[in-house]
Formats: sequence, structure tokens, C-alpha cells
Amino acid sequence: MDAEASPFETSEMLGTFLASTPLPKEAWRVCSTANAMGCGAFVVEQVGGVGYVAFSGIQQLPVPDWDPNRSMLVPLDAASHGPFALLKCHYDGEEPVMVHAGLLHLFLHYHPRPDLQSQIHSLLAETKLIVITGHSIGGSIAFLAALWLLSYLKSIFPPISVLCIGFGSPFLGNKSLSRAILRESWSGSFCNVMSTHDIMPRLSLDHSLVPTPQWQALIRFWYTYMMSPNSINFANLQLTEEDKAWLFYLAVANMERLVHAEEGSGGRSFWPFGNYLFCSEEGAICLDNAVSVNKMMHLMLRIGSPNCITEEHLKYGRYVERLPHQSLKRSFMEGDLSESSYEASLSMALNSMGASRQLSIAPIAKDCLKMTRRMGRSPNLKAANLSIKLSKIAPYNLEIQWYKACCDDSNEQRGYYDSFKHRGASKREFKINMNRIMLEAFWDGVVRMMDRNELPHDLHKSSKWVTASQVYMLLVEPLDIAEYYRSGMHHKKGHYISNGRARRYEIFDQLWIERVCRKKLGNRRTRYAGSTQDSCFWARVEEAKEWLDKIKRDSKPANRAPLWDRLIEFETYAMKKVEGLEVSTDVVAKNSSFSLWLEGWRASKSQIYPLKDIN
Amino acid sequence: MDIDTGSCGRELGIKDEVIKKACSISIRAHQAPAEKPFLVDKIRGSPSQVVIAFSGAWTSDAWSTRDGTAKAFGETEVNLNSFPSLRSIGNDITAKVNEASMNQFLQIMEKSALRSEMDKATRDSKPIIFAGHSSGGPIAIYATIWLLEEYKRLKKTLTHGPFCLTFGSPLTTDRIFCHAVRREEWSDRFVHFVMIHDIVPRILLAPLSSTKEFLEQSLPYLISPSAHHKADSIDKSKLTALFDNVMRNASCVASHAACILMGSTNMLLDTMTKFVQLSPYRPCGQYVFCTGTGRLVVVKNPDAVFQLLFYSLQLVSESESQQKAVASLPAHLAYEDGLDKNLDMRNAIHLENLCELPLSSDNTMDIATKTIVDTLNDLNLSARARLCLRAAGESEKQKEDNQKKIERKMGMIRNALDDLEGYRTMCETRGMGYFDAFKVQKHEDDFKANVKRLELAGIWDEIIEMLKRDELPDKYEAEKSWVKLGTEFRQLVEPLDVANYYRHLKNEDTGPYMTKGRPRRYKYTQRWREHAEQLPRGSCGESCFWADVEELNLAVTSNQPRNEQMALNVANKLKEWHAKGEVKKDAFLKETALVTWWKTLPDNHGAKLCIKDLIES
Repeated sequence: MDAEASPFETSEMLGTFLASTPLPKEAWRVCSTANAMGCGAFVVEQVGGVGYVAFSGIQQLPVPDWDPNRSMLVPLDAASHGPFALLKCHYDGEEPVMVHAGLLHLFLHYHPRPDLQSQIHSLLAETKLIVITGHSIGGSIAFLAALWLLSYLKSIFPPISVLCIGFGSPFLGNKSLSRAILRESWSGSFCNVMSTHDIMPRLSLDHSLVPTPQWQALIRFWYTYMMSPNSINFANLQLTEEDKAWLFYLAVANMERLVHAEEGSGGRSFWPFGNYLFCSEEGAICLDNAVSVNKMMHLMLRIGSPNCITEEHLKYGRYVERLPHQSLKRSFMEGDLSESSYEASLSMALNSMGASRQLSIAPIAKDCLKMTRRMGRSPNLKAANLSIKLSKIAPYNLEIQWYKACCDDSNEQRGYYDSFKHRGASKREFKINMNRIMLEAFWDGVVRMMDRNELPHDLHKSSKWVTASQVYMLLVEPLDIAEYYRSGMHHKKGHYISNGRARRYEIFDQLWIERVCRKKLGNRRTRYAGSTQDSCFWARVEEAKEWLDKIKRDSKPANRAPLWDRLIEFETYAMKKVEGLEVSTDVVAKNSSFSLWLEGWRASKSQIYPLKDIN
Repeated sequence: MDIDTGSCGRELGIKDEVIKKACSISIRAHQAPAEKPFLVDKIRGSPSQVVIAFSGAWTSDAWSTRDGTAKAFGETEVNLNSFPSLRSIGNDITAKVNEASMNQFLQIMEKSALRSEMDKATRDSKPIIFAGHSSGGPIAIYATIWLLEEYKRLKKTLTHGPFCLTFGSPLTTDRIFCHAVRREEWSDRFVHFVMIHDIVPRILLAPLSSTKEFLEQSLPYLISPSAHHKADSIDKSKLTALFDNVMRNASCVASHAACILMGSTNMLLDTMTKFVQLSPYRPCGQYVFCTGTGRLVVVKNPDAVFQLLFYSLQLVSESESQQKAVASLPAHLAYEDGLDKNLDMRNAIHLENLCELPLSSDNTMDIATKTIVDTLNDLNLSARARLCLRAAGESEKQKEDNQKKIERKMGMIRNALDDLEGYRTMCETRGMGYFDAFKVQKHEDDFKANVKRLELAGIWDEIIEMLKRDELPDKYEAEKSWVKLGTEFRQLVEPLDVANYYRHLKNEDTGPYMTKGRPRRYKYTQRWREHAEQLPRGSCGESCFWADVEELNLAVTSNQPRNEQMALNVANKLKEWHAKGEVKKDAFLKETALVTWWKTLPDNHGAKLCIKDLIES
């Protein structure tokens, strides 16, 4: 066994903690208020220091005009320019982030409502903690609302925490959505509370289901109960045993498909994200690994039956009452416990799922939980180890610094960007390029570990890492840009900033902005900065060079005008940087491509628009 | 596993008779009139001991909040002037205690004869046992800490130092308090007795607002035997509601702590802690759990004690709730009889080797394991509870392993420091201070020194990271060898960091080194030394005066008015540090940044005169 594998299975302990807090009960209370208000309602409330927003589970899901041959998934950013503008929805080689068209439609209907907007904004002004919640489809709308709120907050960095709790909510988006949420470190903000046999969270609400009379009958029954939970009348349920079985096996088939779609063709199908809190009569466990969530949902259906499809979706009120009490008493365990801590905690998790007595699935469920076991070192130890690696790669950084200083001092006076871009077959530049590649490998490794959630999630707040990544970026990104234009990549892929920039830099940029926004420096610089403060400066110069060439060649005023504006804009920007001494000396070196551009631009400026140029 | 079927006292280093006496005085203390907040008694023997027992109070003005701004659990930071040790050193977090009980203690110190009683006992070299039952417990704890701080300040040995015994005391100290007490190695001087069915030790795990009524209106009458209230005079349904509430909160904090002990990395855990108010209080010192079967169980691991406080009172079935609730009050009043009986049974056991606790309750062969299994059963521990205890043990072991791991790196640190020492000597032969040589970065050696600097930074940052995440043993920051190495590292390497910072103009990117750019590895190691040598905070800046010199030089070049205060300060301190040998003479060589600045001073300037001799020699 891996000596550093985690010695405990924590999903059950985490489930117990969540269940013993007053939060699920409080969230459910607001949810049921929203449910009682009927179709399309929402409730905003403030209790103690916490703001609650709940969406009614009773919703008119739009169906009729769907094309049965198309997936219900639509790209999140194509659907709207507004709410999700700040969430990065496309990554190289991946499907775009997509969500259920009908659910998105419902959310987009809510989003512009002035009553919702104003109430949420007053919550944001008054509290630092916001819970967004909803039962059933209301929960899916809550997930979208939380995504919108998180992307909105990302741009203004207030110290506000968002928690989104769904109760038995159906699938919302694809694997890319799940990945995007992990990358933004938001998965701790999402939790779907799910009764182990509820079919709703297992369904894809698509054309093969939503228009059917069986589904309509079931949902009508649910809605009646949700609006007035005290007067349940099973006579209202117009479903035959066959209908129930049909719905049940539809859910089974759907889960089967998902479990098998796991790797590979997952892009176009639904995928879980965030946490799932599975609740049973025996207890609760909390999982955040999408693959095991899928498997677990699939497995638990095997011990369910068509009869549970009606009530399981309506049990949440009971669970939130029961769970806190359950944690006060000892859970009853059957059979011998293993003396290994890991095996024993695994058995307890199964017990809390109500799966330990089900011999048909217990072994598979066990394997499914084992998948989530952390095999390597703990994130904290990994981070500590990374500190050591960081110091090992430091010499590469230093050599590049050294190289920069040499270029900046050399008689050629063209700065290290141009020296590197136009380098010949020299040994020194070969070494520098190797260093650049080594550093790239290290930092990409860090980003990968962050994506896989293998590092502590507050790493991005540690000033050591933010500073180190910033120093790296300011020093090395100019070389990456030089390499990009040197190898002619801009002809193949387009300009660097929009097409060639590595994701690590975007992340580092974001980390840095978050910090700097909090503390602004007031003083003026006295000398040129050590490194140019905009690491993409050279990429902008390259683009400006192209515009200048074009404007010189093209004599049509209509074509010239937009180029002219862009050139003016760049010049203003660049001069502000230069005058503020925010660039490094290499930018203003006599023969640097920036100096050459500036010369060329000033010369042609007077020729092109002599009358306009007042300066 | 160490099985002592003998006396509990021998496990703890305190005689059984002393425990019994302290208990009975503590309970009698509740009867004493309000103007007499403590009782004093002597125990003959060699050496004879003095018992000081406090009554404390559950009265409303003491426990409730004076204004609306108070915290949900009534916690407040301790005053570091009275209790300088009660903080984490590197992380620099001040310990928190329950404000009301701390105020009571401060009142007693100020207004009663406690000081003179303490002085008298100390003069006669009689160890003092501070004791308290119920609300008297927290006062006894603070009194003990107060005296221990006194011993530390006067650098007295602890041979006749104080002890603290509490009986059914509520938790009133936080995680940092416990950390600091363990770091100072005072932990074994605190012994807390808890009847496993007693609700009071757990009561502050629930928010004050929910327990206030009970604490203020019911409990005081129960613990004071002068009033003729009996435990059964209290409304059973109210008591059950209180019990449920306290236990629900206990379950919440215990499972939260267990998630962390078990190494959960789920981000939801983080988010939830922002939304849910968790009690900050944690046990501190040794605990003795008294089971219903007459067994005494000694536990030292604070994480394990915390889990036990919840699990030993966990229900077997939901229907048991009222029965346990009703039993929880008499248990609070039964310490005297209960302890008398339990101590006489000589049935004490020390729960150690937590990582290897048996999980199941049967199938045991050897008698040693059987005793453990019986003990765990007596403590009412389910398999889940045992797993939590194992997790507490694993976490302690992990911390010790981490320390061993970094101790293996001491050699690497030594070597790198020796290399840099060599670099410093070489610079001197070049006629330059190594600060300035490094800042200019002209030679290959400067580059090599920079690589060494970064190598060391990596190792130290790893250590600091571990401290920040509480992954090293509590004692680590007080280990002499590390304090010494940290100081050497700081004095030698920090000047290079300052040089690097100003060489790359980072001050213009982010601000002055001292306020914006100083790495934690230097802040932490400076605090270690200041704490170890009991020096004022911020007094050991001998490694970073270069940053001030740089700022002063920058002010000269940019024609800003001179910061006279800073100038004088630097000069005076330099003189002092040089005299102690902490700043070497290479700082005063011909062309150093220091001398450049010094030359800009007018001849009659205080700062100029102050270090004139040093520079001109």
C-alpha cells in the first residue's frame, strides 16, 4: 500500500458534519416557502448574518419546439452575453461549457427581473454570506444563479461567500462545466442534497421524457404536494404501475449511459459537478468526485424500486429534520469491522448510504468509494514539496535575469526581447531557451495540480506563490512572445494575446489582479521598472507593428480609420507606461522594436493625417 | 500500552489525597460568601502544599454580554501584557478565552488577597494547587497560567511550580491557548476531571444565547449547596431541549474537527465554516474521564479529548435522550463522591498509542488489549468514536514525522550557510560589504550566492508553510536548536534578500521591503528569538536594518525630507548590535550603502555622531 495514501475515508465524516449543521434545515425552510408560492416564485430572506435566495421548485419547463434530434445542451456563453460573461467557457481541445437549454431559459427569464436584481443587490450590501437554494428544478436555477453571482463577484472581489444548495435537483451541464467550476475553485460552493433513491437528480430532462403523459402526471402530483405539503392525496397520482416502472427504468437507462460514457464521449452528455450529499435513513455521505457520484447514483438505483419514484423526491423536509438528530446517536453497525482505519471508515460510509446490508451492491459501492481515495501525499505536503522545487528551478530564472541585464547593457541597444527574437545559433541563447522551457514545464505542472485539486485551495492567496508566479510571468512571458512571433505562429494561429497565450498566464494575471485590487500603491516610480509591468506589452507592440504596416500600404480612408484609432490607442497606452516608468529599460532601448515602431509611427502620422495631428 | 492498575495520582504526578482534598475544597468554595472568591487550605507533607480553590460565578453580569458587539461564544483575546506566552509565535495569533470568566479572574487578582497568598506560598517554596469546580475551573486555569508566566519571567525553575485541578469545568480556552501551553511544556500541570455524563464541560460548545437561561438561572442554585434546590426541581423537557442543543453543537464541532484530523480536502468544508458558527473552545491539559463503572481514564492528546467530550456522551438510541439529559445534572454535582470512590478503586488507565486502538469490541485474546477494550466500552465509544481517536493519534504522529523530516535538512541548511559565510569573507577581501557586492551582482560568486539564497529560501518556506498549517508539533517553535539556526540564517541571509529586493526595484512595484516585501521566513525566525529570549517585540531587527538604510538613501536621492526618527533609530540600534557582535564590521566598510547614507548627514547630526567611531575605524 502507498504509505502516503490517506488513512481514512472521509466522505462519511464530512456528510455527518454537513448534516449536523443548521444550514440544510434553514435552507429547506426558505425553499418550501418558495415552493408554496407556486410557479416561478422566488424568496429572498435574511436570517442572522446570512442572506437566503430560494427558487420555487415549481416551474414551467419549456418543451414543445425542441428538435428531438438535437441535444438539450447549449453553450453557456452563446446563450447570453450578460450573466456569464466572466466565466471562461472555452478551453483548447475541450467541448465548450454547456448547460440544459430549458433550465438556462428559465434562469434567463429570472435574471433580468428588477425585483430579483434589487433584492440580491441589497443582500450583497448587507451580508457577507449568501445561500442560494431551491428544491428540484428550483435547485438547478439556483445553481445557475450562483454561477452568475460567482462570476459577477469575481470581477469586484468583495469578501462575500456563496453557497448553493440544491435539493434533489436534476443534471445541469456537461463535463466542461464541471471542469470550469473546479478550475475556478468554486466546487466548494455547490452542494446537491440527494435522497439515495430519488430519480429526479438522475434524469436528463429531454424530449424523450418531458412531453410524455407519465412525466406530466408525476410532475403534476409533485407540484401539488410541493405547494401544500400537508394535504397529500395519492388518489391524485394518475400513474399506473407500468407507468412508474417505465419512468424508473428510464432513470436506470440514463445512469447506465452516463456511467459508460465516463471517459471519451462525455462531452455531449450531462455530468455532475460540485458536491453531492447522499441522504438515506441511516445517515449521509458527501462526495465530490464526479465519477464516483455517477457510479453511486447508478448503483443505488439497483436497490431502489419503481415504487420509490414518487415519494423519494418529496422527502427532503423529513431528512433535514432527522439528520441533525441522527448524528447524536451511535449508528448501528452490522458484522465485524476491519481493524484497518481505512476499511472501517469505508464500511461506515456504506452503512450511512444504507448500502451495507445490500450484498448485491456493497462490494461495488466499496470500490466506487475507494476510487476517491487520495493515493499520493496530502495537498499540504505537496505544496510544501513544491516550495522546494520552486527553489530548485530558481537558477533558471536567475540566468534569464542575468541574460536580460546583459542584453539591456549591450552596445546593440535592442533589449532582451529583440535580442532573443532575432537570436542566431548562439550557445547562450540556446541555454536561455532551455531555461524558458524548463520553467514552463514547472509552472504548467503547478497549474495542472491546481486543476486537479491536488494543492491546498488557498494556495492562490499565499503571497509567496502569487509573487513567484508574477516574477516568472513578467520575466519570461516576453520571451514566449518573442518565440511565438519568431516561429511565425501568428501566421498560423493569429495574434498572441487572443490566440497564443498560455492558460497559466491568464491564471497568474487573475491572481495578481485580485491582490493588487486590494492594495494600491500610491507612489511614483523613480526609475524604469525591473520588468515591464504588462507582460503582454511586446505582444501589443507586435500587433501595432502590423497595423502600422497595413496603414502605410492601404490608402482607402475607410480602411485606414479603424487602424488609425487602434494605433492612437496603443500609442497613448504605451506612452503612459513609458512616462510612468512602468516599462523596463529594454522597451526604450534605442534599437528595440518598440522604439523603431514609435519612430515609424510618428513619421507616418504626419504624412497620413497631417491636418488631424495637432501635436 | 501502559497499564497502571494503581493510583490515578501516580499517572499524573499528584497524590490521590491531594486530588480528593482539592475536590472537596472546590465544592465548598461555592458556599463561601461573595466577598471571598476563594478558599485556602494546606496539605501537610513534604513539601507541604497549598490549595487555593475558586468558586467562580455563573451570574448574569459575568456571563452575559455587556454590549451587543460580543461574540456568539463570548470569546475574547487575552491580554498579552499579562500573559505574554499565550499566543502562537510565528503565526502571531493571540489566544482567546471566555471573556466573562477572564474578567472574573482579573477582578479577583485586583481586589482580593490572592496575590499575597501566592507570594506567601512561593516564599515558603510550597507548591500551589489551584482548583475549581464548575465555574471555578476557568479561574483556577488562569491563576495557574498567571503564576507560570511569573516563574518564566523570573527564570525560576518549576520544581515547586503550581498545578491546576478542575472538576467539571466548562471549556473556556481556544486552540491557540492549548498550543501555547503545550509549547511552554506546562500542559502536564493542568488536570481536568470530567464525569462522562456531566453536561457542563460541553456547555460552551453551544452558543451562549441558547444556554444563557440555564447557566444563569438554574445552575448557580444547584452548585451552591446552601440553597435547597435539587437537580430534579428542573423542568425535564427544558433540560432535554438544552441537552439536545448542546450535544448537537458538540456533534457539529467534533465532526468538523474530525474531518480535518482525517485529512479531508473537500472545499465544501471550508465554505461551510464561513456559514456556520463553531465554538472556538478546545481542551487544554490532561483530562481524566470518570466512567460510570468507576474507571478513570487519563488522556493527554487534546484532539482526542475533544472527540471524547462528544462521543462519551453519545446516545445509544434516540429514546435515551431524556434519560441522559436528566442524568447529566446530578453528574455535575457528584464529583466529590464519585472521585472518592473511583480513586479508591485504583483503576486508572492512561489511554496512549491512539493510532492502534482496537476498533471492534470483542475477539480479544491478551489481557492488555482486553483492558483497553473494556475501557473504550466504559467510555461508551462506538467504532466511529474510536476512528476519531485514531485520527487524533495519526495527526499527532504525522506532526512528529514532519519535524523529523525537516530535522534531516538541518545539515543542508548548515552547509549553505557555511557557503554564504565564505562568500561574505571573500567580499570583504574584495574590500566590499557583502550586501553591496550582492546588490551589484558583478561576479560569478554573486550569482552563486544568489542560488544559495534561493535554496535556503525553499527549505525555510517549507517549514513556515507547515507552521502556518499547524503541521508541526506544538513544541517546535521553542526548540533551542531551531531558534538558534533560525537566527543565524536570518542574520546572514536576510541582507541578501534586502539587496535583491532593492536591486530589482521591487519597492517601486510593491512598496518598501519592511512593510510589503519582507518574507515570512524572516518574520517568523525573528519572533522565535524574541520569544525565546523574552525580548520586546520587534527588537531583533539586526538582520533587516539594510532595508531602512535603502529607504533612507532613496529619500536622499529623491530629495525628500529626512525621516529624523528613522535615522536616529537606525544609528542607535546599529551601535548596539555592533557591540553585541550581531552586526559585523563589513557593514561599515568604505563604500557600503550605509556609509554612503552616513556621509549625507550633516556633521552635527545625532545619527552621524552616534556611529562615527564605527565607520572611521
